[in-house]
Amino acid sequence: MTDPTLMVVVQRYGDIGGGGAEVLARAVVQRLRPHFNIEVATTTARDYWTWANEFTAGLTAVDGVPVHRFAVERGRSRDFRLHERRAFSQTHTLADERAFVEAQGPVAPDLLEHVNKRGRQVDHVLFFTYIYYPTVLGLPLAPERAVLVPTAHDEPAIRLAIYKPVFCAPRAIVFSTAEERALVHRLFRNERVPNEVVGIGVDVPAERFADRFRQRYAIEGPYFLYVGRIVESKQCGQLFEAFARWQDSRGTRATLVLMGNREMPVPDRPDIRLLGRTSDEDKFDALAGCVALVQPSLLESLSIIALEAWACGRPVICDARSPVVWGMTYRAGAGLAYRTAAEYAEISEMLIGRPQLASRLGAAGQSFVERTYTWPRVIETYLDLFAEVRARNS
Amino acid sequence: MSDILIVVQRFGDEVVGGSEGHARVVASRLARTHRVEIATTTAADYWTWAPYYPSGTSELDGLKVHRFPAEGRDPEFKAFESKVLNGEHALADEDEWLRRQGPHCPQLLDFLKDDGARYDAILFYTYIYEPTALGVAIVPERAALISTAHDEAPLRLAPYRALFQLPRAFGFLTPEERDLVHRTFRNEHIPHETLGLGLDPPGAYDVAAFRAAHQLEGPIVLYLGQVSEGKGCDDLLAAWIAYRSRPKARSATLVLAGTVRMELPDRRDVVALGRIPDAQKYATLAAADALVLPSRFESLGIVLLEAWQVGTPVVVRADNPVTAGQVGRSGGGLTYGDANEFGDALDRAIAARDVLGAAGRAWVERESSWDAFDARLAQLVALTAA
Repeated sequence: MTDPTLMVVVQRYGDIGGGGAEVLARAVVQRLRPHFNIEVATTTARDYWTWANEFTAGLTAVDGVPVHRFAVERGRSRDFRLHERRAFSQTHTLADERAFVEAQGPVAPDLLEHVNKRGRQVDHVLFFTYIYYPTVLGLPLAPERAVLVPTAHDEPAIRLAIYKPVFCAPRAIVFSTAEERALVHRLFRNERVPNEVVGIGVDVPAERFADRFRQRYAIEGPYFLYVGRIVESKQCGQLFEAFARWQDSRGTRATLVLMGNREMPVPDRPDIRLLGRTSDEDKFDALAGCVALVQPSLLESLSIIALEAWACGRPVICDARSPVVWGMTYRAGAGLAYRTAAEYAEISEMLIGRPQLASRLGAAGQSFVERTYTWPRVIETYLDLFAEVRARNS
Repeated sequence: MSDILIVVQRFGDEVVGGSEGHARVVASRLARTHRVEIATTTAADYWTWAPYYPSGTSELDGLKVHRFPAEGRDPEFKAFESKVLNGEHALADEDEWLRRQGPHCPQLLDFLKDDGARYDAILFYTYIYEPTALGVAIVPERAALISTAHDEAPLRLAPYRALFQLPRAFGFLTPEERDLVHRTFRNEHIPHETLGLGLDPPGAYDVAAFRAAHQLEGPIVLYLGQVSEGKGCDDLLAAWIAYRSRPKARSATLVLAGTVRMELPDRRDVVALGRIPDAQKYATLAAADALVLPSRFESLGIVLLEAWQVGTPVVVRADNPVTAGQVGRSGGGLTYGDANEFGDALDRAIAARDVLGAAGRAWVERESSWDAFDARLAQLVALTAA
């Protein structure tokens, strides 16, 4: 018997640097490969903002998987912000919503033609991210074999009527977290669509050496770790302020270690250490020795770094307003959340002062990750959902 | 008591059409127990969609009717359609086809976006037109689709693929429509109800007066409806002539009651009455020894139900799944495959008129009573409402 066929549709694919949903798509494709005749349909874009045509259109291969790239006819419109404002206003029309989706890009009509023809010859079509043109206009062309990985979070766009078919028409939905599922069900009343919380598998190296990290970067004493893009939109500014206020008001000496690309000013003080982008080895060594990972971002749809911290047995400190990160942390019993700078300081003091508590929280996180976010479990769940799709269409 | 909106392409006293008629009946039945409003266009004609009613909110039969202006059918629609259905075309042409078919009515769609949440359930009529094809997607969480689909090429066009996956529930007119939709879209999991139709009792009618008025004697084989090739009347006439030229053929008259839109042979055994007044419908049906319905496509075949109400058996094509299905369920008639079988079926139907007619009448009294219809409708609303 030949393997079932699977087409994956995603706005960008390959060596594009970053992009949560795109990284997820590639990781999933690599692991589904042994089970399917798999192919990817995407655009020639590398940049998620401009969607400029940087790759060559046509058939190529990534990780040994055939990838069909289709030209972007229109990238992000120069007056995108204007269209966004209009579509998000109270009094907008359906035409404004359509204009928003097109202004956002990537407008790739050839990709739609491909989904329309080829997508209806394969057994299933897996769409990554709900928000962009390829999914909004592509999924309704093959709904009876579509599986959606929405990577949704609570933002104005998801309330537009144009997204209702995306969430109500597919055969199955793959959520990243239980919080994402609750949000989508609340907004769309689409509980009828079969779904699972799947997310991503977390791989951590068996050998992690905190001392190797401390020596390499000359870090002494207790330290907290932040990993990710250092930007205002991830609440890094508030984090720096809360940390500095704690340290400056006679807090127990500690260091805040930052790993990732700096895209905003970082306070120049000895207890905040900016390491820039680092190797995976450094990241896991640092995770192994930290008091806790700090995840201040409010907009994560799935914080992979939090999962990695838990897989390493360390707790997470997060903002109580973040529905997903705090929701997961709370359910896992794997960390603590702050609402104010004062609470941030209290939590930090408590975790330094009671290392056993920190380890217990971390261990709870470890078992949470093992229950849900491991590759064997992720792939098994995908296979079950796809089998259900085929059974319905046979 | 729920708030219910019915979306349909046309609505009003001057509107003639199967699905629009069904929508009107459903509106009036639901209005007995719910607050019902209508969203529709200003059109009365299903081809041009030319403005006929004023736009805005008005009242009809005590129901609030919201009418929105619409762009009519593209005069070149037929040519464009033939390219989309039979020729090389781009995906975008299929959306364009929907728009050119009309009624293109963006204000109705924006009304659904802005006001849809005021209603507990929104019933959409006729899958094929834009108000439904694009409207269900705006309020899928409270939509019921009464698709009135039959097996035709447009059913496979791209704009309809998601449509049939979206509603909370389906209302079908017949089990055959249900099977067609399930086969085409594999959407068996969506809750559904087969509605059929409710009918008022026929009341008093005078067969003798009808026969006398039209000087009709002997057995009558009746066709009731528009007399055109599109309805299969050309096939009917050919089969009739073959039947009548059989040796020892029964003397009988084929009575055509309806607007004539085709050439008719000049024969004494074929009588065209033209369109008969509604008041004479049941007398005409009751006078017939058998009703024939030769059409290939039918979404319900109301005339069959009406014939059975007065105990007249029917003869229908075996290859029309809907009419053959209705006949199979009721036992109120016979089916035929070719012209030869047509003659045999007609002979047998006339000979067994009382038995077949009684079976049809018993079935229609059970299935199309208002109580039975209202119960099915209530079930559809329950499946749909938030």
